[in-house]
Amino acid sequence: MQYQLKTRQICLFFVAFLPVTKIFMLPSVFEKFAENDMWISCLCNIILDLAAVFAMIFACRKADTDFFGLLKNSFGNVGSKIILSLYVVYFFIKAIMPINEQKDYIEITFYATLPNIFTFVPFFLISFYISVKKIRVIGRCADVLWAITSLGFLLLVGLSVSNVDIQALLPFGVRGAKSILSGSYSALSWYGDSAYLMFLIGQFAYKKKDGLKIFFTYLLASFAILLFMILFYCIFTSTAHRQIFSLTEISKYSSVIINIGRFDYIGILLILFASVFSMSMPLYFASLILSEITGIKKSWISALIINGGMFVFLMLFSEFFSTVQYYIFNYAGIYFLILGNLFPLFTPLLKTEKKKNALYQN
Amino acid sequence: MKLSTDLKKNIKEIKKRLTSQDIEFLDIKAGNLDGVLIFVKDITDKESLGELVLRPLSKLQGNVGKSELSDVFLSPEKKLVTDTDDIIDQVLSGFAAAIFDSVSEAFTFGLIKFEKRAITEPPTSAVIKGPREGFVESLPVNISLMRRRIKSSNLQFENLTIGTYSKTAVAICYIEGIADKKLVKLLKKKISEIDIDAVLDSSYVAKFLGEHKTSIFKQVGNTEKPDILTAKILEGRVAVFVDGSPIVITVPYLLVEDFQSPGDYYNSAYSATVARIIRLFSVVLSTLLPAFFVAAELFHLQLIPLSFLLTIVSSIKGIPLSPSFEMFFTLMIFEILNEASVRMPKYVGMVVSIVGGLVLGETAVSAGIISAPTLMIVALSGICLYTVPELEQTFSLIRLLFLLVAGSFGGYGLILAMAGTLIYLVSFENYSTPLFAPFSPLIVSDLKDGIYKGFLIEQTNRPESIKTHNKTRMKIKGEK
Repeated sequence: MQYQLKTRQICLFFVAFLPVTKIFMLPSVFEKFAENDMWISCLCNIILDLAAVFAMIFACRKADTDFFGLLKNSFGNVGSKIILSLYVVYFFIKAIMPINEQKDYIEITFYATLPNIFTFVPFFLISFYISVKKIRVIGRCADVLWAITSLGFLLLVGLSVSNVDIQALLPFGVRGAKSILSGSYSALSWYGDSAYLMFLIGQFAYKKKDGLKIFFTYLLASFAILLFMILFYCIFTSTAHRQIFSLTEISKYSSVIINIGRFDYIGILLILFASVFSMSMPLYFASLILSEITGIKKSWISALIINGGMFVFLMLFSEFFSTVQYYIFNYAGIYFLILGNLFPLFTPLLKTEKKKNALYQN
Repeated sequence: MKLSTDLKKNIKEIKKRLTSQDIEFLDIKAGNLDGVLIFVKDITDKESLGELVLRPLSKLQGNVGKSELSDVFLSPEKKLVTDTDDIIDQVLSGFAAAIFDSVSEAFTFGLIKFEKRAITEPPTSAVIKGPREGFVESLPVNISLMRRRIKSSNLQFENLTIGTYSKTAVAICYIEGIADKKLVKLLKKKISEIDIDAVLDSSYVAKFLGEHKTSIFKQVGNTEKPDILTAKILEGRVAVFVDGSPIVITVPYLLVEDFQSPGDYYNSAYSATVARIIRLFSVVLSTLLPAFFVAAELFHLQLIPLSFLLTIVSSIKGIPLSPSFEMFFTLMIFEILNEASVRMPKYVGMVVSIVGGLVLGETAVSAGIISAPTLMIVALSGICLYTVPELEQTFSLIRLLFLLVAGSFGGYGLILAMAGTLIYLVSFENYSTPLFAPFSPLIVSDLKDGIYKGFLIEQTNRPESIKTHNKTRMKIKGEK
């Protein structure tokens, strides 16, 4: 087996890509449902993802082929293609919310003078460009981007921490389980990143303690997001849901900004840079799976279908996006839960090459 | 065609092909044997020819055969040739050839004498501290400079000739046991496949060695200094010398190489680290600053602090050009001045500085054609790029591209262009070596000579970014 990635790159992949798409609109979504218990909602999503990561580490340990091979061994050709088709749809829908929120952010907030849809359109050229690259390139991007994400994140958190009123979180749990779970359910579109790990199975040589490294970096990235949520709520309290783009809002009351101007934009620009890659990941994996299902050798064809499809979808539905959002929040959650969190739990049970051959011999 | 024993026939055949008037056919005698000495008048050392070839020949008496002839010549560079094509090639390369009647072999002597430039400090890599020798246009001199530094039998030179008309000598240099054998083999194959009229400089060969023909990024390294080349081949790289060029090509190439200045290795690690960070920061600043300023001015006024914004507003009042066109225009003026100052005779260089810097700049601002901040940004960007002169051409193109994108699509367009550049850089490989190593793929041990300069005693291993057969560079006493 020729490995395309290093364990280090898998770890850095999570550090680089996990936090960036969750700090635009997601905090206000959580707050809308769970108010001061938003962090508990966030924690529920984190626990779900970590459980899936934990299970997949076992799959990585024993895998002697990639995920496509494991599926084929367990469900046969047709069965694996059906499952993979579901994942194409999963990643496609998973990409909608982060891309649209960024499109809105760019059009509404980032451009002070010329809000224009065409300012965001070139993103699809970059996502297409990433999608035609081999998985090795994704690992190499992570090697660079983890530093950019961390720097941007630390800068924003550092600037905002002085305005935090931690007491705003009290009392815990008064909103009730229903509100907390509704928040978690609505946020499923942003979570389920553990599913990426499934498609990285067999792409790296698993060594002793690698599982621990992957688990802890995932945990670290997840807790960074949780910290951001807590800080965000503690600054804006009950008005947090009105701060749609938390990224630009979180540090605006910092004394540094009052004195020298929007210093926080350095952090925002770094996060925006990293989020170009992060937003492209679901489209990348959708293209990769589509190539596998259809057997298309030229990766640009499936990349064009997926990225072009997303572009057309967003253009067509830009006027009715609140309806799309409503459906994703209320109906797509179960789909995300099954494919992003439940199915990965069963990956250790998938048949490896060795097991398959042993069965044939018997 | 093989030489015959008939002298007249052989000479007739050679004269048919060597018709130029600077080629001398001198009748000679060795005892009872008639012969002809062939050489190019202006590139052969006639004094040595007389002392080492003609004088010993005149001493031969009576019946003379091949064995007597073989022993008589004193020239240390002596070869036996049997083919007329080989004789012609060697004569044109500065050898003298002696052909005798009844002998079906010719003797050739390396008596070449070219005028060559003295060894001086190369203008592209001047140092305050450290060796000042630089390569020259003569291949033998360059090889001697390397032999002086590496007195090991493992230092190998493999000679090739390329160019249908120029017949340029090329030497592949590497250290056996360190350099990757596959790489040496591949380079030899690539160079021998070059079919071109003439090779006038090593940059011709460099273009054939790159695996991505249309890339704007450099794909092979180069140096003009023997100390730098020694360090590079000791890291596992392979060098290509081209006769007539003082610039030696090295393969594989990493982008980080150009941020490493020769001075870094002769100064303290601390000052070298600071210098490297400054270089990196300068290149980033130079490439992004004009584009970022235009994007902020056109689309993102919130990015500019209020007091600076007021200064900009007052300075751009009445400027007829749009911010992006103004920046583009000023950058173009800078590039024109740059181009002119390189090619202009030195005695008018001062005039260019005064006219360009003071008259054009100062007057353009006071006449209200361009604004003072734009002029300052272009000047800063221009100067910053020269902290890494090797990358100046590449990054000035990228700067223009970014400016175009920022002027059309604003800050987000710029972010996307940067993302595209990063993807391109991390996926770029030449000879299976990633261009962006050791940053991507991240090789922590190689960072010691990457973004910062570690202490020499820490760099016990050769860089992992480059494939080598021997990883250990240094053993410290007492350590296993």
